[in-house]
Amino acid sequence: MPDEAPARRFRLPRIFRTTPFRLTVLFLALFASAALALLAYIYVATAGEARRRTDAEINREMHGLVSAYDQAGLSALNQAVIERAAGEGAFLYLLMTPDQKRISGSIPYSPVDKFDGQPTWTTFSVTDVDAQGHTFKHPARGLQERLAGGQLLFVGADVGEDEAYVVQVVRALWGAGALIVVLGLCGGLLMSRNVSRSMASLTAVVDAVRNGDLGARAHVRGARDEFDELSAGVNEMLDRLERSMAGHRHAGDAIAHDLRSPLTRLRARLEVAYLDVEAGKGDPEQALAQALEDTDGVLKTFAAVLAIARLQAAGTAPNQVLFDPCELAANIAELYEPLCEDKGLEFDAEFAKGLQARGNEEFLSQALANLLDNAIKYTPAGGAIMLRVRRRSSGEVEFSVTDTGPGVPEADRERVVQRFVRLENSRNEPGSGLGLSLVAAVAEAHGGRLEIAEGPGKVGEMGPGLRVALVLPRA
Amino acid sequence: MRILIVEDDLEAAEAMERGLSEAGNACVRAADGEAGLTAARDGEFDVMIVDRMMPKMNGVQLVESLRREGDQTPVLFLSALGEVGDRVTGLQAGGDDYLVKPYAFAELIARVEALARRRETGSVHTLLRVGELEMDLIGRTVHRQGKEIDLQPREFQLLEFMMRHAGQSVTRTMLLEKVWEYHFDPQTNVIDVHISRLRSKIDKGFDRPMLQTVRGAGYRLDA
Repeated sequence: MPDEAPARRFRLPRIFRTTPFRLTVLFLALFASAALALLAYIYVATAGEARRRTDAEINREMHGLVSAYDQAGLSALNQAVIERAAGEGAFLYLLMTPDQKRISGSIPYSPVDKFDGQPTWTTFSVTDVDAQGHTFKHPARGLQERLAGGQLLFVGADVGEDEAYVVQVVRALWGAGALIVVLGLCGGLLMSRNVSRSMASLTAVVDAVRNGDLGARAHVRGARDEFDELSAGVNEMLDRLERSMAGHRHAGDAIAHDLRSPLTRLRARLEVAYLDVEAGKGDPEQALAQALEDTDGVLKTFAAVLAIARLQAAGTAPNQVLFDPCELAANIAELYEPLCEDKGLEFDAEFAKGLQARGNEEFLSQALANLLDNAIKYTPAGGAIMLRVRRRSSGEVEFSVTDTGPGVPEADRERVVQRFVRLENSRNEPGSGLGLSLVAAVAEAHGGRLEIAEGPGKVGEMGPGLRVALVLPRA
Repeated sequence: MRILIVEDDLEAAEAMERGLSEAGNACVRAADGEAGLTAARDGEFDVMIVDRMMPKMNGVQLVESLRREGDQTPVLFLSALGEVGDRVTGLQAGGDDYLVKPYAFAELIARVEALARRRETGSVHTLLRVGELEMDLIGRTVHRQGKEIDLQPREFQLLEFMMRHAGQSVTRTMLLEKVWEYHFDPQTNVIDVHISRLRSKIDKGFDRPMLQTVRGAGYRLDA
């Protein structure tokens, strides 16, 4: 990373910058909006309802008085107003002359400022004094109407209790809102701290790997959640990477080692030939022929290394097609069968019918050829070799070559797949030591694998044999 | 034969020219694709050897241009790229054969000869005859001195290839590529065993062997 000028910009503490926290805040905002809308609805529903109820009561009272006036006249109404105003009822009354002079009632003047003759509603406040001399202001509602005789009648009601209820509701709603925000925030912080802790372990691994420590591994907590999955995935990836890099390193050393000896021989032969020719003796022709042969050996090794490297670099084999594995195996069997016969080996092939697989036929043919090559090379005369193609119950297609040769001890089986590894007793056999490595690389490039197991077991001097299987995933 | 060598590696081109000239061929050299195209347009050649990767114009472009102009001269591609895909691209562009570097010189000569010969036998034959050996391609039968020889299908294909290239050296790699259609190099010489089987069928019991082993190169069927 290039050095940057120190950031002067204000930065939030780390926990506030985590993705889970940001998500929390976002959801909190959404949740708070929804809660706000709900609170608004509740407010309208409760406060509005209280006002409607008061208004209806005032209306009813007004109606009663107006109908009394209509039936019995002004004096009866005046009487009723005086009686009711003196009573314990919750209503306020005011009866006025047409020019707004008080006739009777419980309040001195009408709170209605402008009256045009139509029934008019108003909201006002009433001041009260209690026994201790404290004054209270109550909110109130009132209705003023003109009577048939031109007099004005006002009926009002104290809404103090309803209003107090509404205020309580609002206060409760505010409290609930604050609780939602605080709880959400705490939850978010807690959540992001947990997630951050899980991420921190992964970030530490990534940092370590970036700094060159390929051995770093993420901690898998065993919670079987997506973090464990991710950690396991990262670990597996690193395992493969480490193996592959170790493989490259090993191959580098091995190539140097494997090419050095034939190149040294080659150089020595050429030098001897040169000295011989200079001295006018010896057989330079033979030395040259041998040198050519050595060169070819070196080139073959190169070709094999290159093929493996390309397959591994590509990850998957190129030009994959659907093909009949038995046909492919039969063609290779046909190529190798005479060689077996020449070496005095019994050769048998067994192919299941109607199989299908997906892959690069050229690479797979070469892999099978290598397996047969190995089997023929290591099985003594009188032995037997079996090539079999079948479908496993898992749907995978298996190519297997079984021989009755000396086999490979279990401890060495993983090792023989590695590049250039040749067991002690096979040092003198021709071959690059790359045969099985190539088969393994081909199998891996097809998403398959190479399996090495014991053959049919010991029979007299023979055995226990080797069974090598190239397994391809179901097409 | 007149051979055009289009190769930007001067040392390799020189070695090729010397070897091919010693084998009795007349060679013309071009060091890049454009020069190769000019040379190919100017002269009549029996075979062209074209390196795939060159400055100015690569081998594939060169051959595509020539094929568009109607030039059908057989082309042998040389390439350091040996993957199946690379070979297919080369052959699709109009190449007739493909040889991966590094190659044995015997291999190069055998392939050049095979390409030149293929051009001469352009017409369709139903009967191949090499000396006493007679092959009926329709009836799938082979006779030597009138005596029928029983061959397996692959042996028949192998002999057919040898007969079509009678008198020429044919390498093991060529046989593996043309008869078996495999392009990899087996660790053991499986081809030798097949040849010796074929030899025992067509030469055994006759006074003179026809299927010869050519040291350092491969095999040759002589009339």
